[in-house]
Amino acid sequence: MKKLRLHGAYRAVRATLKGIRPLPPRISGSGPPATGRKGHAKRRRGIAVSDFVYWAVIAFLFAPLVVLFAYSFNSSKSGSWTGFSFMWYERLFLGSGLLWNAFGNSAIIALGSASAATLLGSLAAVGTSRYSFWYRPYVKSMSFIPMILPEIIVGVSLLVFFAGVGLKLGLLTVWIAHTTFNIPFVYLLVSARLEEFDPSIIEAARDLGATEVQTLLRIILPITMPGIASGFLTAVTLSLEDFVITFFVAGPGSTTLPLFIYSAIRFGVSPVINALSAVMVAGTVLLIYPARNFLKAYAAH
Amino acid sequence: MKRLLRAAAVLAALSLFLGLSLGLGSCSKKGDEPKKLYIFNWTYYTPDSVIAKFEKEYNCKVVYDSFDSNETMFAKLKAGGSNYDIVFPSADYVSIMINQKMLAPIDRTKLANFRNIDPLVLARSKDYDPDNKFSVPYYMGAAGVAVNKTKVKKYERSWSIFSRKDLKEKMTMLDDMREVMGDALAFQGKSVNSVSDADVKAAEELVNKTWKPNLLKFDAEAFAKGFAAGEFWVAQGYAESIFAEYDAAKRADVDFFIPKEGGPLYIDSMVILKNSKSQDLALKFIDFIHRPEIYAEFCDAFGFPATANVPARALKKGDMWYKAEDLAKCELKLDLGADLEKYNAAWQEIKVGK
Amino acid sequence: MTRNYGKIYAGPQALWLTVFFAAPLAIIVAYSFMKRDLYGGVLPQASLEAYRSLANPTLLSVAWRTLWVSFIATVFTILIALPCGYSIARSGNQAMRLFLVIVPFWTNFLIRIYAWIAILGNEGFLNDLLKILGLRTNSVQFLYNQGAVILVLVYMYLPYAILPLFSTIDKFDFTLLEAARDLGATRMQALMKVLIPNIRGGLVTAVLFTFIPIFGAYAVPLLVGGKDAYMLGNVIADQVTKTRNWPLASSISMGVTVLTGLAAVIFAATSRRTAQHVVEDSGIGPLSATAGIPSGGQA
Repeated sequence: MKKLRLHGAYRAVRATLKGIRPLPPRISGSGPPATGRKGHAKRRRGIAVSDFVYWAVIAFLFAPLVVLFAYSFNSSKSGSWTGFSFMWYERLFLGSGLLWNAFGNSAIIALGSASAATLLGSLAAVGTSRYSFWYRPYVKSMSFIPMILPEIIVGVSLLVFFAGVGLKLGLLTVWIAHTTFNIPFVYLLVSARLEEFDPSIIEAARDLGATEVQTLLRIILPITMPGIASGFLTAVTLSLEDFVITFFVAGPGSTTLPLFIYSAIRFGVSPVINALSAVMVAGTVLLIYPARNFLKAYAAH
Repeated sequence: MKRLLRAAAVLAALSLFLGLSLGLGSCSKKGDEPKKLYIFNWTYYTPDSVIAKFEKEYNCKVVYDSFDSNETMFAKLKAGGSNYDIVFPSADYVSIMINQKMLAPIDRTKLANFRNIDPLVLARSKDYDPDNKFSVPYYMGAAGVAVNKTKVKKYERSWSIFSRKDLKEKMTMLDDMREVMGDALAFQGKSVNSVSDADVKAAEELVNKTWKPNLLKFDAEAFAKGFAAGEFWVAQGYAESIFAEYDAAKRADVDFFIPKEGGPLYIDSMVILKNSKSQDLALKFIDFIHRPEIYAEFCDAFGFPATANVPARALKKGDMWYKAEDLAKCELKLDLGADLEKYNAAWQEIKVGK
Repeated sequence: MTRNYGKIYAGPQALWLTVFFAAPLAIIVAYSFMKRDLYGGVLPQASLEAYRSLANPTLLSVAWRTLWVSFIATVFTILIALPCGYSIARSGNQAMRLFLVIVPFWTNFLIRIYAWIAILGNEGFLNDLLKILGLRTNSVQFLYNQGAVILVLVYMYLPYAILPLFSTIDKFDFTLLEAARDLGATRMQALMKVLIPNIRGGLVTAVLFTFIPIFGAYAVPLLVGGKDAYMLGNVIADQVTKTRNWPLASSISMGVTVLTGLAAVIFAATSRRTAQHVVEDSGIGPLSATAGIPSGGQA
C-alpha cells in the first residue's frame, strides 16, 4: 500500500514540477518518508516559521481582548485609567438580568443553529461531492448565494416571508434565520475538505462489504471531521455575532446578545460588556483546558 | 474513533432537541401569566428603573425591544413585524404612521398627566399631529456641538466652528443626512425643511467645500467614545452619548452647546399601534411616564433637560448639558415626502465625492 | 457506485434553502423591479428605475473603491492565514490551536472594533508605547484612514480564512512534499508547486469566506474609516435605513449577487473536472475547487 502511494505521489509530483531538474530518486536511505510529525531537520525549520506566524497571529487576535480585559477592571467608564475595581463584574453578576437573558438566548441560538446547519450542510457536501444528480448544480449555487447577499436584504426578505406565512416572530424564527445563513459556510468548509479526499478508500470499504451507513459513519465522517469541526465553529461564531438579520426576525423577548449590545452602544460600551467578554473567553478556555486530552486524542486520530 | 462518533451523535441529537424545543416552546405557554406590555423603543431610551417601577405598580411584565433608527423600526412594523403596543417614533414618522393608518387614537381623558406637558412642545407637535390625536410627546431635543475646552481655548458657539482650519482633522459631524444638511441650512439662515433647489445646493456646497475638509469623519456611532478619549476635540452629536462616555469628574472640561443659529429639532413621541391588545395598559404607561417624578428620573438617567414635562424640571437632581430654552431657535424636522430625494442626492455627493 | 445517495444527502439542505432562502429572496428580486414607496417598501407597479440608477458615477466610484479594498484585505488575509493553517495542521494539538483562533471571535465584533480604536487612537496604546520607547514625540494618526480599515478587516476575517485552509492542509499528503524535495525542488518550489495546487479547494473557500464578507463590509469602514471610507455595504444599508429606497437597495444587491453568482456557476461547473485534468494542467486553473492530486487514486 505504501509503495503504491509513493509511486502515485512521484508521478503526480513529477507532473507538477515541470522545469525543475530532477535528482536521482533516493527513496531508500532518506529515512521514513514523513510518517510522523518529526520529519528531518529541514522540515522542522519550516514548521518553526509557520509556528512563528501562528503565534504572532494569536497575539494579533488576542490584542483587543487584552485591552477589553484591562478595561473591565477600570473603575471608570471612559478610556482613561482611573483605578482598579471589580465593580463591573459585580454589576455583571448581580445586576444584569436582561443581559444574561440575552446571553442565554444567544447561546441557545448559536448552538442550535450551528448544529442544524452542520448536520444539513455536511450531509449535502457529502452528497454533492460523491454523486451526480439533477439538482446538484442547484444545491451548489444555492449554498453560495446567501453568503453574497447583504445581510440587511436577507433579514428583510425573511421578515416579509415569516409575516406572509404567519409564523410568529420569536426564538424559532431567529433559529431558522441563523441556520439559513450558517448552512453555506458549513457546506463550503466540508466540501473543501472532501475535495481533497481519496475516493478509492470508499470503494475499498464498499468492496469489503460495508453498508452505506457504515461507510458514512466509519469512513467519511472521521475523515471530514476537521472540516465539520471548522464548520461548526464558524457557524457558532457567525451566529454569536449576527446583528442585522437577527434584528429583523427577532420578536418580543427573543433579544440576543448582539441585539442587547447594540441597544447599549448608543450610550457607550458599558464596561459590563467588557467584563462579560472576558468571562466568556476565560470560560471557554477553562472549559477546553481540562478537555485538552480529549482534544489531543481527536487531533491525533 | 468511538469518541468521534459519540461526538457526532451528540451533535445530531443536540440539533434535533433544540429544533424541537424551539418549535414547541413557541407554540406552548399561553394564558395565565401576568399581563404583558410590548414596547418598541429607541435603544436605552427609557431607564430600567422606570420600567421596573411600572411593572411593580401595575403588576405586569414589560417587554422592551429596541431599534436604532426610525427607518428600520418602520420597515419591521410595515412588514407585519410584530404585535407591539407602544412605539416611540420621531415626529416625521408619526405623520407617516398616521397616514398609513397604523395608529390607534389616544383617549386623552385617561391621561391625567397630559397637563404636565409643556405647551410649547405641544404647539410644535401640531406640525405632525394636530390636536395630539395619535401621539403624546416623549422628549424634545436637538443634536449640538461638544467642545473639549482643554484643547480648544477660544471658539464661537456657532456652526462656523466647523469652518476653522486650525482644527482640521480634530472634528467630527454626525453621519446623518438630515442633521448635517439641517445645520448647514440653519447656518445659512434657511429652514431645515427647505426644499428649494438653491438652498439645498448651497448647503451641500458649504458642507462639501468648507466643513468636510476640516472633518476627520462623519460618525454617528462612536463619536462620543472618540471625544471622551481626546481623539476629537469638537464633535457634533447627542448630549446623552457624550454624557454617558465622559468621566463625571472631568465634565467641566466639556462645553456642550446648541449653536446660536439653531438647527434641526426632534420630538420623539409615544404612539399606540392599532392592533395593540393592551391599549388600556399602554395608556397607563404613557400617563406614568409623564408623572413629574418619573419624568425627572428618566431625564436624570441621561443628562437630559426635562423638555417635555414642566413640573419635572423642579424635581430634577442631576446636571444637564443644555436647557429647554436653548432649543428656542431650533426647527422641527418634518417629513419631506418626495423632496427628500434632493437631500439624498446632496448627501451622496458629500459622502462619496471628493 | 451502487445507488445514488446524493439526492438523499443533499435533499434536506436543498429543501431548507428553497423554503427559507430562495422563496424569501424571490420577494426581494421582485422589489427591485418595482417602484419605490416613499415611506419604505414598494408600490405594486413595475419599474426599471432602480436598475437605471445603478449607472450613477458616484456609485461606480464606490464600487471601485470597495473592490480595491476587498482585494488588498483578502490578499493580506490569505497570506497570513496560509502559514497559520499549515501550523495548525502540523501541530500535535490541532483542536486546541483551532480554538485559540476562534475564541476571540466569540466576543461581539463591535466590542472588538472599539478595542481596536482604543489601541490605534492618538491617545491609544500603540501611540503611548511609541512615546514611551522614545520613537515618537507626537502621535501617529493610525485611525480613520484606509490603512486602518484594511487592518481591522484582515483582523475580522482571518479566522474564516484559517479554518478552511487548515482543514484541507490537514488532509494533504505530506509525503508529496518529501517527494518533491527528493526530486530536487527547493522548499519554496515544493510548497508553491505541490502544496498550493493540492489545497486549492481550501484556498478557494478561504478566498470566498474573506472576499465576500469584506465586499459587503459595513461596520468596519463606518467605525475606523475616515470621511472617504464609504463602501458598497454602506451604500446599501443607507438606501434601506436612511433614504428608504428599497428597489435601489435590492437592485444593487442583485448586481452584486449576479456577478458573484456567475462565479458560483463556473465554480459548480468546473468542480466536476476530474483529477486527471488537474495533474495535466496543474498550477494555473480557473476558479475551481478541483480534486487536486490524489495520492493513491491514480491506480
